[in-house]
Amino acid sequence: MEAFQQSYSSKTLIWPKSRSWALAGVVGSGNLEVLIEPNPASPEEVAYSVETSIPDFKDSWLAALNDFASHYAIGGSKITIHDQGAAPVVIKMRLRQALDLLVSNTQ
Amino acid sequence: MPDTPRDTRRINKTARIKRASTLAQGKIVHHEKTADLLRAIIEKGDILCMEGDNQKQADFLATQLASLDAGDLRDLHLVMSCITLPSHIELFKKGVVRQVDFCYAGPQGNEVAELLADGKFPIGAIHTYNELYARYYMDLTPRVALIAAAQADRNGNLFLAANTEETPAIVEPTAFYDGVVIAQVNQIVDTLPRIDIPSDQVDFVVEAPYPMHLTALFTRDPAAITDVQVLMAMIAIRGIYEKYQVESLNHGVGFNTAAIELLLPTYGEELGLKGKICKYWMVNPLPTMIPAIESGWVDTVFSVGGEVGMERYTAARPDIYFTGRDGSFHSNRPMGQLAGHYAIDMFIGASLQIDIHGNSSTVSKSRITGFGGAPNMGCQPTGRRHPSKAWLKAGSEANPGPGALPGRKLVVQMVETFQTGRVPTFVESLDAQDPSIKAAMQGVAPVMIYGDDVTHVVTEEGIANLAACRSNEERTAAIRGVAGYTPVGLKRSAADTLALRERGIIQLPEDIGVSPARANRSLLAAQEIKDLVRWSGGLYDPPAKFVDW
Repeated sequence: MEAFQQSYSSKTLIWPKSRSWALAGVVGSGNLEVLIEPNPASPEEVAYSVETSIPDFKDSWLAALNDFASHYAIGGSKITIHDQGAAPVVIKMRLRQALDLLVSNTQ
Repeated sequence: MPDTPRDTRRINKTARIKRASTLAQGKIVHHEKTADLLRAIIEKGDILCMEGDNQKQADFLATQLASLDAGDLRDLHLVMSCITLPSHIELFKKGVVRQVDFCYAGPQGNEVAELLADGKFPIGAIHTYNELYARYYMDLTPRVALIAAAQADRNGNLFLAANTEETPAIVEPTAFYDGVVIAQVNQIVDTLPRIDIPSDQVDFVVEAPYPMHLTALFTRDPAAITDVQVLMAMIAIRGIYEKYQVESLNHGVGFNTAAIELLLPTYGEELGLKGKICKYWMVNPLPTMIPAIESGWVDTVFSVGGEVGMERYTAARPDIYFTGRDGSFHSNRPMGQLAGHYAIDMFIGASLQIDIHGNSSTVSKSRITGFGGAPNMGCQPTGRRHPSKAWLKAGSEANPGPGALPGRKLVVQMVETFQTGRVPTFVESLDAQDPSIKAAMQGVAPVMIYGDDVTHVVTEEGIANLAACRSNEERTAAIRGVAGYTPVGLKRSAADTLALRERGIIQLPEDIGVSPARANRSLLAAQEIKDLVRWSGGLYDPPAKFVDW
């Protein structure tokens, strides 16, 4: 078990009117859940909070989270991650899925 | 030199047949006399071919051969497409092999690596399938061939059933250059359903005490496909299949391409691609293609081999599959490989390792596998002259300058950035480049697909269009750009990646209209093997290990 918080600067997310949060994935073996919520106090920053069952991969986590923040406009949000040993490929996908659920009309 | 004899092989063959004559009734030899037959026929120094690829094995003959004493088998030159069985390995342990020329050693890869380290595995070369078959007609014509068939009649005609595979490619050069062809069959019958090999080309037939070994190599359980693989399949369909209008193609055997097959009737249908892509296939009868076939996506499928459980389904779909006059499925490995070389718009497959130049390999120091057929399809056939939409479009992106080919085959590597156990797929240098491996191959690293041949790399990150890169540096940057959080990926420069994305060389899901939120297993046309049986109308008979109901 390892937990850490980290904030990165990011362009401000244009928050959709119809939604106040989005959730992708589930906490299960080899999987994780990603929750995006608004954080209007810091419109040009994303605040990550990570809990993972597998320690010692903090550097990889931060690299992925930093990339995600610089790649997409997600400033003004708080992203909470509960991980149970997801492979790196799953982490990136769940982040993209949560954002996609928030900003698109995809069901 | 008029006195020099020019029929020594024919005379020698006659002598061999005569030595074995007391063991046979006509061409039929009882299975208990198989070892005696092999002892009588095989001579010191022979080029010996044992049939066996990744599916079908002349396993009874191989076991009988391995039971002979080292003194009976001296100085053999083995030529065989696949080293698959423990009995193959036994010959090396006995020290009776002078040289081996082969294609693939998947299931025995660890044994081969150990034998190689002990100096007991004298490799001539590792080939691709058609490359080795071609040499059977040139400098490696077998003196004796041990082959496998489903049935024989009493004259020695052979029926090969669904798994014709490479039998004709072994028998023809052997028979027409005075070699001896010995066939093991599951059954001797009065009348064959059809004749695949005429008795003129067969010298001895043994009814084996058990049926030949067959592997269900191409069956992928939809239940094991992950959301990540669904995402990659969506990326590939939009970014490559749709973009280039890929009509003719080959799929590898992995779960990535199985996911694509299962998305055609759902995601592909929604995109309006039916009738525009994926019409002509050179691929084995994959169970995961049943939903696409039943939904009317597929015009034809030609196969290099059969697939256990697909016999009744293929026989009931002769508009799709090639079948004999008896109504049953037909395959042919060399001809399928030829089709996959010259007549497809796209090859798409996976690999264990890809380096920063785009070279890929499945060889490691502890596991010597080889190539099989993938490189025949995963390469640019510079002898191709006929155009197609996809070929011309890929060519227009790739080939600037005078003297360039007008078109290009799409050669796509589709991989997750990490293998299981967090082993990175992307590496700075392939294990195949290890000096000890190169030394055993006369300095040539066993590369599966060369980077120069690859047009696209697809990962869960997105697509890198290597063909559109204009320098080696660009190609490496494009690979790093989709290599995720592997050590190779972490070395990318954000500026390079952005510049390549602006030029369309790197494409992310959102650049091609793929919504990651939809990447869910529920999008697959079948969730499990049982669904495939339902789609087939009960015609697909999955092997027992896939049946849990």
